Amino acid sequence: MGKGGMSHGNTDEGKEVNMAAWLLGINDIKILPFNLPPLGAHDARIRMKAVGICGSDVHYLKAMKLADFIVKEPMVIGHECAGIIEEVGAEVKHLLPGDRVAIEPGISCWRCNLCKDGRYNLCPEMKFFATPPIHGSLANQIVHPADLCFKLPENVSLEEGAMCEPLSVGVHACRRANVGPETNVLVMGAGPIGLVTMLAARAFGSPRIVIVDVDDHRLSVAKELGANQTVKVSTNSNDLRDEVERIKEAMGGGIDISFDCAGFSKTMSTALGATCSGGKVCLVGMGHTEMTVPLAPAAVREVDVVGIFRYKNTWPLCIEFLQSGKIDVKPLITHRFGFSQKEVEDAFETSALGGTAIKVMFNL
Amino acid sequence: MGKGGMSHGNTDEGKEVNMAAWLLGINDIKILPFNLPPLGAHDARIRMKAVGICGSDVHYLKAMKLADFIVKEPMVIGHECAGIIEEVGAEVKHLLPGDRVAIEPGISCWRCNLCKDGRYNLCPEMKFFATPPIHGSLANQIVHPADLCFKLPENVSLEEGAMCEPLSVGVHACRRANVGPETNVLVMGAGPIGLVTMLAARAFGSPRIVIVDVDDHRLSVAKELGANQTVKVSTNSNDLRDEVERIKEAMGGGIDISFDCAGFSKTMSTALGATCSGGKVCLVGMGHTEMTVPLAPAAVR
Repeated sequence: MGKGGMSHGNTDEGKEVNMAAWLLGINDIKILPFNLPPLGAHDARIRMKAVGICGSDVHYLKAMKLADFIVKEPMVIGHECAGIIEEVGAEVKHLLPGDRVAIEPGISCWRCNLCKDGRYNLCPEMKFFATPPIHGSLANQIVHPADLCFKLPENVSLEEGAMCEPLSVGVHACRRANVGPETNVLVMGAGPIGLVTMLAARAFGSPRIVIVDVDDHRLSVAKELGANQTVKVSTNSNDLRDEVERIKEAMGGGIDISFDCAGFSKTMSTALGATCSGGKVCLVGMGHTEMTVPLAPAAVREVDVVGIFRYKNTWPLCIEFLQSGKIDVKPLITHRFGFSQKEVEDAFETSALGGTAIKVMFNL
Repeated sequence: MGKGGMSHGNTDEGKEVNMAAWLLGINDIKILPFNLPPLGAHDARIRMKAVGICGSDVHYLKAMKLADFIVKEPMVIGHECAGIIEEVGAEVKHLLPGDRVAIEPGISCWRCNLCKDGRYNLCPEMKFFATPPIHGSLANQIVHPADLCFKLPENVSLEEGAMCEPLSVGVHACRRANVGPETNVLVMGAGPIGLVTMLAARAFGSPRIVIVDVDDHRLSVAKELGANQTVKVSTNSNDLRDEVERIKEAMGGGIDISFDCAGFSKTMSTALGATCSGGKVCLVGMGHTEMTVPLAPAAVR
């Protein structure tokens, strides 16, 4: 990087000042310098090119906390990202500067029983982009373990690379629930997570997918993206019984697997009521902490509740799905912004408003 | 059976009159004649010798209904049973009169997808002893498919045979939850179902079992039956956080599998809070229909 001329500032020696989007307080996000840690032998330094906004990013901006995680000091936001390798550590063999990579955010400890058992997404020492106190990746550059950087094929764009993160949630859910060519799937909620779950379910071979939402626009997007049927539902719990019937009718055959991508008492209750005996209900969304649900009627039909947290070992499969065209995430990217103070603020507002916005993407 | 002399009455021809315990109404149970169906080619006629009472039997007596099942006409009660074979149908090869058998109550259809998939306990056409409108087995004799009659070895009593039914609930739960030599197990509730679940868990190899209950006596029975540790809990939901801590302490290591053998919001919430990340909570008991539980904190682990 040469002396002067760069819009985001240089030191006197001409080195680029690495900038990032920092969460300073509620509704207070500022682009400020972000010091990179030294490059370890197994690390890569990556120039960020595409970073998506997640609902959790917006939530942190609006509340400075999420569940038990509290933002106690300024934190860089963002975690859905892809970029270009600038430099790799001495022990890194599989990547070279110039490689285009999608990035898996979470750094596990690899010493605890959960990690050693492969369930590293549940590692209690997990260091995850933009989950406090770990800085996120909405920045010019980051330093990250190279084994969490996955090379993108020529025909997969950096934006699609960034989409691997939300898509991974859907892929992990489909694996945990065992979606396949004989499983009819119900998806509760047609927001970004419901949509990637639907796309993943189709890629896993599900022959019939019904998706429900309260919003007509979201349902029409879902239909365009390949849902067999959509059902409009309400937030009114009195409508539960009727909605379960309409959903079953829309499916035609039995519902083997339901994904609750909203995570409220009503959506879980609907899913539990609509799913076949012996089936599974996967709780993906995080609407309510405590829910009032008819657990016993589901339990006596052996409808199992499966929890989902983030993902594990999903990047290679996501990249394969994108590369082969089995999944097309491009229609989910509805809004794009550049990396400037005003655009960062506008981007978060757009994402927070919802409406026609599905995935808001930064291009850096 | 000879003419006369039998305390439960004979017809003029000297044939035994088969008697059973009938549910006639709330708190109204009477021993009355019970006509047996004809013996099919694959059936067995069994003289009942040991029949246990289940909580559901008591519930039907007290309420004449359970969940969506309503007792609309008189029904014979009882389903945990064992007896002696009196007669077998023409196609029955594995049993002979005189054989001592334990009896699996439920007759599935074997035509639906669930049956064909082996999950016959979920068959929508299930005909189960003492689940209306199907008559139970607290009777002198019953007729039942022979493939649901399991021969007892010499050293297993008829009473133990009858206990196979509640024990089966514990065994099925342990299978579904995958209990094994590396799974620490928590059992919520030390009633009959909690106890058979604990015994089954030990038999499946669980190295450490903690059992909880509100009742001291039940806890002491559980300890005698082999629980590693017992923890006394309350029905007060304010005690939840403290109880989860005490349970974890009692286990020592992580809790891999929890069996909620009570089935209430509090017991489920406790189990969900106490179980390790990546673990399982098995809902066995049927306390409440709707429960208010912290599902999300469990799902994210």
